Amino acid sequence: MKNPALIFLGAFLVNNIVLMRFLGLCPFFGVSTAVETATGMGMAVIFVMTLAAWITWLVFHFVLLPFNLVFLRTALFILTIASLVQLVEMFLKKYYRALYSAMGIYLPLITTNCAILGITFLNIDNKFNFLNGTVFAIGTGLGFTLVIITFAAIRERLDLAPINPSLRGYPISFIAAALMALAFLGFSGLFGLT
Amino acid sequence: MRRWHIFTRGLVKENAVLILMIGLCPALAVSGTVRDAFGMGLAATFVLFFSNVIIALIRKSVPNEVRIPIFILIISTFVTMIDYFMQAFQPDLYRALGVFVPLIVVNCMILGRAEAFASKNSVINAALDGLGVGIGFTLALTIMGSIREILGNGTFLGTTVFGEAFRKTPVIFMILSPGAFLVIGILKALINKYVKKE
Amino acid sequence: MTSAKQMIVTLFIVALVCSIVLSFVYSFTSPRIANTQSELTLAGLKEVSAAQEFVEIIPDTLWRALDSSGNCSGIVFRVFPQGYGGPIPITVGIDLDGKITGIRIASAAEGMKETPGLGAKITEKDFIEQFKGKEASEVPLKKDGGEIDAITAATISSRAVCDGIKTGIEKYTSYLGAVPNKVNVFPAAQEFVEIVKEKLWYALSDTDTLGIVFISSAQGYSNCITFMVGVDNDGEITGVEIVYSNETPGIGDKIREREFLDKFTEGMPEAITGATISSKALIEAVKNDIELYQEYLK
Repeated sequence: MKNPALIFLGAFLVNNIVLMRFLGLCPFFGVSTAVETATGMGMAVIFVMTLAAWITWLVFHFVLLPFNLVFLRTALFILTIASLVQLVEMFLKKYYRALYSAMGIYLPLITTNCAILGITFLNIDNKFNFLNGTVFAIGTGLGFTLVIITFAAIRERLDLAPINPSLRGYPISFIAAALMALAFLGFSGLFGLT
Repeated sequence: MRRWHIFTRGLVKENAVLILMIGLCPALAVSGTVRDAFGMGLAATFVLFFSNVIIALIRKSVPNEVRIPIFILIISTFVTMIDYFMQAFQPDLYRALGVFVPLIVVNCMILGRAEAFASKNSVINAALDGLGVGIGFTLALTIMGSIREILGNGTFLGTTVFGEAFRKTPVIFMILSPGAFLVIGILKALINKYVKKE
Repeated sequence: MTSAKQMIVTLFIVALVCSIVLSFVYSFTSPRIANTQSELTLAGLKEVSAAQEFVEIIPDTLWRALDSSGNCSGIVFRVFPQGYGGPIPITVGIDLDGKITGIRIASAAEGMKETPGLGAKITEKDFIEQFKGKEASEVPLKKDGGEIDAITAATISSRAVCDGIKTGIEKYTSYLGAVPNKVNVFPAAQEFVEIVKEKLWYALSDTDTLGIVFISSAQGYSNCITFMVGVDNDGEITGVEIVYSNETPGIGDKIREREFLDKFTEGMPEAITGATISSKALIEAVKNDIELYQEYLK
């Protein structure tokens, strides 16, 4: 099993969830119009991703495996995440109003964020133990946040730039993302990671 | 003509990937080759079609407050089905699509149609809607897959297109991650320019 | 406003139906999936060896290749040397002279993570064909003293392949033709009749069936332990031999000591102090397998 530091680096940069693995694209393009909203979304994602990784890992290893119910993995994981998000939202709304206004609005969006469900699957497929799974989730979440904030910064400037009408909006954003992805490809091979 | 309209709507005018910009994750991730793109499209269409049908079938018996969990249950059942069927009958495709097969369950396209249409319409209409959106999705993916495979690998569905010389030095960039973003960006730009808005 | 009861009931019913449907799908497809897996493995083995029949010795790692008369004609093994981007799955076939009959490197879709266009070229015919007919000493790269040409600008991947293959050959050569002698574990027998190919035999005297001999494996501390056991009709062990083990030298390796193995004929031995995991694994496996094969003991 790889050591946690390598797993973190891999998840954060080399195999960046958005630019390399193509997960979490909908919020990536949807919530990156301003740096402030991007930060809020990033925080929410890190929080939910780590919690989701913990709970699904426990569910898989203590419920699905022992009872031979592995085929219920997809259904159970998505329901767990949906419920988790619901609960977190209610909890924040009631006890941490400030935090809720900062990131609470993004929470419902996170349920269908394929990044969250994606890493819960990857945790199992990569056969990570609990610690490595946690590191993987946090690294991925931070990678997502890094990328979405950077992208938001780029888009804020793009909005003010003179751009051909048919390129405005999505197209130029995609092309910007392509360049970012190209940059991140450069991390391939870092410390022997692909 | 209403029925026909329901079917064609998802094909072009409200194409999930190219117009509405949803379902992007699989669109970019598995469109490296035509086979993968087409396979993913079919798998997603399978799930969309059947979940639309079932949801439309039971729509009157589903209490409003719990409708989302129930939709998710139904959708994930069909996703798990296609997951295991693919493992059994198309293992190569399954290995290529990887984690994106079970991720069909969070494809916003599917839950979106369930909530917006299937839960409020007849079974036949829901079926047509599912087919239309699904085929539209498959179409978009296949177009991207074709561009990326032809330029990035010199092949189409495995058969060489531009001759062996091109195969030795294709535009590898296209098959890798940045290529996906570039292709969809340019496609979208072309659509913006040449497709009249209504 | 629907009552809480109605909501729960609907949820429950839907969940139940879904689970039932899925368990059907699962039981329907799993034999097929397992089958496809073994067909795939067999196809992979045939790619590197001229043989048509194979017997698994170490699960998913080592097979014995049999010729048409059922004799050992070579072995096939898998290694996973660390390449540039990750472990490279390689299947290697060697004949009785220790010469390579063929190699197969997994494709990118199967988990080979070398760089496309560079290291990934190790899967190409030109590179792979070089290995045919070579023996362990010839396998390193030309620049490392062997006879293999590296792929231009992909030395790391090429070297990884060569080193992995060389290590594998050295590790598994002991299996070539080394069919364990069954009489070592069942001295009283005159003859052995195969029940399950390379796995289970009846031990016979001139007139009677005296018991059975079987080969099985267990997961030890570091690796698989393959062992052979002789059991007489009373369920008593007549002998135990280690066919293959790769436990920690000086520690788990003690299971190979004659002293320890002989203890089995006097009943189940205690675990070796300091080598608990390896010895316990062996003892448990012997115990379980004897129970498994109970029906063959009259």
